[in-house]
Amino acid sequence: MIRYALTRGALLLLGLFVASALIFLTLRVLPGDVAQQIAGTNGTPEQVAAIRESLGLNAPLWAQYADWIGGVFRGDLGTSLYTGTGVTTELAEKARVTVPLGILSLLFALAVSIPLGVVSALRRGRADGTTLSVGAQALAAVPVVWAGMMLVVVFAVWLGWLPAQGFPRGGWSQPADALRALILPALTIGIIEGAMLLRFVRSATLQAIGQDYVRTAAAKGLTRNAALIRHGLPNVGLSVISVLGLQVAGIVVGAVIIEQLFSLPGIGRMLVEDVDRRDLPMVQGELLILTGFVLLVGFLVDIVHRLLDPRQREAS
Amino acid sequence: MLRRTALAATALFAASALVLAGCTSTADPGPTGATGEPNPDASVAIRLVLEPGNLDIRQTTGAALDQVLIDNVYQGLVSRTTDQEIVPALASDWEVSDDGLTYTFTLEEGVTFHDGQELTAQDVVWSLQTRKDTPEWADSARLANVSSITADGQTVTLTLAQPDSSLLWNLTGRAGIILKEGDTVDYQTAANGTGPFVLEEWQQGASITLTRNDAYWGDAAGVGEVVFQYIAEDQAAVNAAAAGEVDVLTGFDPNLTEQIEQNGDWTVVLGTATDKSVLAMNSTAAPLDDQRVRQAIRQAIDHDAIVEAVGAGQTLYGPIPEPDPGYEDLSDTAPYDPEAARALLEEAGVDDLELTLTIPSFYGTTIPQILVSNLNEVGITLEVDAVDFGVWVNDVYTNKDYELSYVNHAEPRDFENWANPDYYFTYDNPEVQDLYEQSLRATDEAEADALLAEAARIVAEDAAADWLYNWAGVSAVATGIDGMPADNVNARLDLSELTKSE
Repeated sequence: MIRYALTRGALLLLGLFVASALIFLTLRVLPGDVAQQIAGTNGTPEQVAAIRESLGLNAPLWAQYADWIGGVFRGDLGTSLYTGTGVTTELAEKARVTVPLGILSLLFALAVSIPLGVVSALRRGRADGTTLSVGAQALAAVPVVWAGMMLVVVFAVWLGWLPAQGFPRGGWSQPADALRALILPALTIGIIEGAMLLRFVRSATLQAIGQDYVRTAAAKGLTRNAALIRHGLPNVGLSVISVLGLQVAGIVVGAVIIEQLFSLPGIGRMLVEDVDRRDLPMVQGELLILTGFVLLVGFLVDIVHRLLDPRQREAS
Repeated sequence: MLRRTALAATALFAASALVLAGCTSTADPGPTGATGEPNPDASVAIRLVLEPGNLDIRQTTGAALDQVLIDNVYQGLVSRTTDQEIVPALASDWEVSDDGLTYTFTLEEGVTFHDGQELTAQDVVWSLQTRKDTPEWADSARLANVSSITADGQTVTLTLAQPDSSLLWNLTGRAGIILKEGDTVDYQTAANGTGPFVLEEWQQGASITLTRNDAYWGDAAGVGEVVFQYIAEDQAAVNAAAAGEVDVLTGFDPNLTEQIEQNGDWTVVLGTATDKSVLAMNSTAAPLDDQRVRQAIRQAIDHDAIVEAVGAGQTLYGPIPEPDPGYEDLSDTAPYDPEAARALLEEAGVDDLELTLTIPSFYGTTIPQILVSNLNEVGITLEVDAVDFGVWVNDVYTNKDYELSYVNHAEPRDFENWANPDYYFTYDNPEVQDLYEQSLRATDEAEADALLAEAARIVAEDAAADWLYNWAGVSAVATGIDGMPADNVNARLDLSELTKSE
């Protein structure tokens, strides 16, 4: 197990390193730079050149990369070309929106998918079971933006229960307001991610129903449902954990779109704006952290899966 | 890519919202009708579209910064009204010598910066001199004609090497911003000006908050606080308005008028604007180097249909929009006539022409679609290449690597670009350059304007580009809000007169 964790950890670090090089190079392929943007559409070539020089954009690429990676190892992701603030500081600030948003989205997704997925498997072939599974298919295909808008119209515009957009200026010093601001965006991501997960839970449950040990338990006098819940669900849980990595990646992508739509000052919205502005140190930092986070979740999922699944434990 | 998905979804949403709107009653949306007196401590929330990358008034160009900071937080010696009059600001008055070479400004007394420091004549001299001498500062080149800047008591004198009829106007913009000499404020994330509002907080990615400057040297602002909320999506902005979270929507999509007016508490206000949607044509290479081909493109385009599709604004047939000096109606230079366009192309010996239009993706698809079908009508195949703004700036603006380009030029009085052969318009006409130069050197305003008009007509007749339409400034304003500027809000947003009654 230890050896497995070490190998898997080494793989994680290698993945991060490859990602860092890819991120760096891909961004350098983007046409345009920050100096042109600052000078704008009435800027003179002299102005652009002067800004470029003052921002240190004339250093060779390898030096810029070495600089960046060297900083990363010291926990310093560089500074924004626009605001001069540390990328780490900015990220920490924006994470206060994005991390709770992600966690809340995941909770909503699980709350939707696990009970409904199990029910739709148990009720397979009946009207309500079929409705659930068809409904999930349909929901999973809904554009995230449209779903968000619909929720806003119902809960913010008609009912006035929740804010339509934005985040309180005081942030988490106004915990109730901050949480309220995140409910609709998290619900939007949660419903759509949950619909995808529901189909997965349903098929995992169906698989479990067919397993020998569930049939054996049922033969020993438990009802089919009781047998499934006692003996089958742990396995369904394992399967869900194994796709959590994918779910988290989906939530990260969802957050980028949703933060735009709800004007939330999080990492996702910042990422889009920083790409537009060609604030490359910021974009590098944001992408590295997001990639690292997704890779880390994958790593943890694999480790947890191995710890929980007796078959895999024996295999190592 | 993201924006395109968002646009499609928004369209889908708007359709559903209209269906739903038929069967709803709104709970408690929007601001209530004003009943009483303006509340001097009110907080007004204003939706803006584009957030600035930083707050550096010295270096970072762009209207996103001008809108929020000029007039409200920072001031110059002179300012401009929404109908483009030049008016006193930090200078109580000024005089221009008959030969147009000496400008004498009298500085207001008792002006202080937001941090309490006093404004001195030396600060004015330092600000203008540093602007002129620092190439990376915005509009630095606009002070090129100024040969000396001196102060004597409360009098500041600018001496010019040659007359410059655009100098005063330039001083109402970035070139004229007055800062505290040797100030230690972090300009990128904070501000220290002399205006009626103090920069309270910038919540990056969300909002900028200004509060009333109680130590202001002039008349105090009429509200306690202004919060600029950055909401990119039009539909999301309307939702925020319906939920009562904003009081004013700038950059309002006129096609959503019905949706917001259902609410009863909102008025859609149309103002004039100097925004010009320019269809630039790269005339450095065949076949666009042939005036007949460019003229054919102009006459193939149905400008009335564009205005109708956009939902506001007016047609424009030359480089100068109606609010600017030198404007005249040039619709005779390119009447809509596909027949004539086809004949011109034939005469030029061009057939099966294929052109690429490079357009920043945030302008949406409405106008490109009209252009594709209009040009198709006369036998030109148009391919639309929607790119992100950074790509546009690099490929089109900097490298002039394009055939047709579409972008909005919001700046007032920017005819100079047609007299600059190095500008991305690729228009190089010595006669126009000479007329523009004469207009700059003219000491008589009427003469300067007449010269500009003459130059503008030549540019239009050359079909140097096409002007798809002249925007209207469209805002939606909640009941109870007064003093919100309506004209030219894309360039400036002076909020000193703003009030809110509750």
